[in-house]
Amino acid sequence: MSRSRTSATDHVARWLFLGLLAIYTLYNLGPIFWLLISSFKSRMDMFSMPPKVFFAPDFSGYQSVFGIGAAKDSASAYGVFDSLLNSVIVSTVGTALAVFLGTLAGYVCSRFNFIGKSDFMFFVLSTRMLPPVAVLVFYHLMFAELGLADTRIGLILVAIFANVGLATWIMKGFFDGVPKEVEQIAIVNGYTRMYAFSRLVLPMVKGGIAATAGFCFIFAWNEFAFASILTTTHAKTLPVKISAASGATGIEWTQICAAGVVLIIPVLIFFYLIRKHLLMGMTFGVLGRR
Amino acid sequence: MTRLAVRQRSTGRLMIFGFLSPTLAILLFMVAYPIFSLIYYSFFNFSALRPAAGMKPVGFGNYKFLLSDPDLWQRFIFTGKFVFLCVTLQMLIGIFVGYQLQKNFRGRDLIFTALMMPMMLSPVVVGFLWRYMFNSEWGMINYLLTVVGLPKIDWLGQTTAALWAAAAADTWMWTPFIILLATAAFRGIPETINEAAEVDGASPAYRFFRITLPMSAPVLFIALILRLIDSFKQYDLFFALTGGGPGSSTETVSFAVAKTAFSYFYTGEASALAVVLLVIIIGLSMILVRHLNKMGERF
Repeated sequence: MSRSRTSATDHVARWLFLGLLAIYTLYNLGPIFWLLISSFKSRMDMFSMPPKVFFAPDFSGYQSVFGIGAAKDSASAYGVFDSLLNSVIVSTVGTALAVFLGTLAGYVCSRFNFIGKSDFMFFVLSTRMLPPVAVLVFYHLMFAELGLADTRIGLILVAIFANVGLATWIMKGFFDGVPKEVEQIAIVNGYTRMYAFSRLVLPMVKGGIAATAGFCFIFAWNEFAFASILTTTHAKTLPVKISAASGATGIEWTQICAAGVVLIIPVLIFFYLIRKHLLMGMTFGVLGRR
Repeated sequence: MTRLAVRQRSTGRLMIFGFLSPTLAILLFMVAYPIFSLIYYSFFNFSALRPAAGMKPVGFGNYKFLLSDPDLWQRFIFTGKFVFLCVTLQMLIGIFVGYQLQKNFRGRDLIFTALMMPMMLSPVVVGFLWRYMFNSEWGMINYLLTVVGLPKIDWLGQTTAALWAAAAADTWMWTPFIILLATAAFRGIPETINEAAEVDGASPAYRFFRITLPMSAPVLFIALILRLIDSFKQYDLFFALTGGGPGSSTETVSFAVAKTAFSYFYTGEASALAVVLLVIIIGLSMILVRHLNKMGERF
């Protein structure tokens, strides 16, 4: 008797939970859907009331983003190719260097005890916590003095600084998951520590390196505050270019939506590639050791 | 034996030095040097726009001026409200959805991956997207309100509505992060514990509050602190969503630093405000790291 009552409340609870989950899914995916379909709307359809879900697709947003077709010569042509190239170069090079440095530092922090280790690790992590605007006030002056203002090299430096701390912590987590015996056995067998690191341990954390690179890339790719202040013309990245899409005629919504879609594609590809290692990387390896 | 140990120790030292120094060098140059300069500048009346005018030392003048400025307190209050709203909503929804998603069901991985998408968008795009949807005349959200018979709301034209709009956008973007961490934490709990409790007749609610939550508390705590810090320094979203308006009522502390530094070019004053912001953030970070270290000992 009491058993059937429990199962009835269980039943209600399950449907209630499913309903709440459905509402959240709608809230979560709705705006993504809206971004996607809006990127194919013409200027007229963009502002129609009630909002249109079915309409004749229009590619003017994408055309002006890539500076092709009818939009090529118009004043509103967006010509995003330069900034897309800047984004690609800055995020890939910045990510590669941040992951390289983070892997080295993460290995040392995982394997050795040295004076000031916890201070070092706090200092490294604090870069992730730092509000960009705080250091920006000074970068603004420093970059102008060093000739780094509005250059890709300057932004690459920023990308390294902004990501190396995260890379170090995530990589330390992955190295912690590799047993210390690997190096000990190698050394007993006459190999050097360096050999053990590069030939034995590194291949074991390949997935971790990929996950770290994925995280760093997503952050570098989406970075806005630094790029918006430190660039003026040559080194503008895509997010900065998007923010500038508000001219005399108001905000160019079709361009913003199209550029937003363009911006998320590489990130989705990266996310798909690292999906298996995502959970462990996100928790600084705390979970992996259980 | 001893010779091997000695050799190992010296290669160890070499490795520590060689592997850490590049990271340390770039961080000293990009973090420590700027922060010390920032502290230095905060004691001067100085503008990056007119370096020729020189730097007038004002002692704690910038700080006194800032702390007696009612606008600044208003920004702190706004930032505080925003942080509280965002973190509460995100933790509640994130833990709930994460708990539902830890169960095995068909298509779970697909849903899980799809739900992560908002987190991967650029905050500027997120800001513009929600600004587009929150438009009072032709925005999707007001249309949905009228469909269910509610009055339209001037979302970005009123302070309270704009606060909720910003919180909705931030929650949209970052709840997936909590879901990710919560799911990971929940799945890390050995199933045998739950099964044993079930056999003993513990109700689902009891199991959730007495087993699942306490056992995943460390990871949820990391998530909480990370979201606290991130929403506290939120800048990009407001830049694109409200532009700080209406008036200056939705300016966060970060926003105020940027405005003081790059619109008005009061470099000295901006530096002082940045120092205040830094002190708060470093305090929060220290809590996080202390907790992380404690967890490191436990596992």
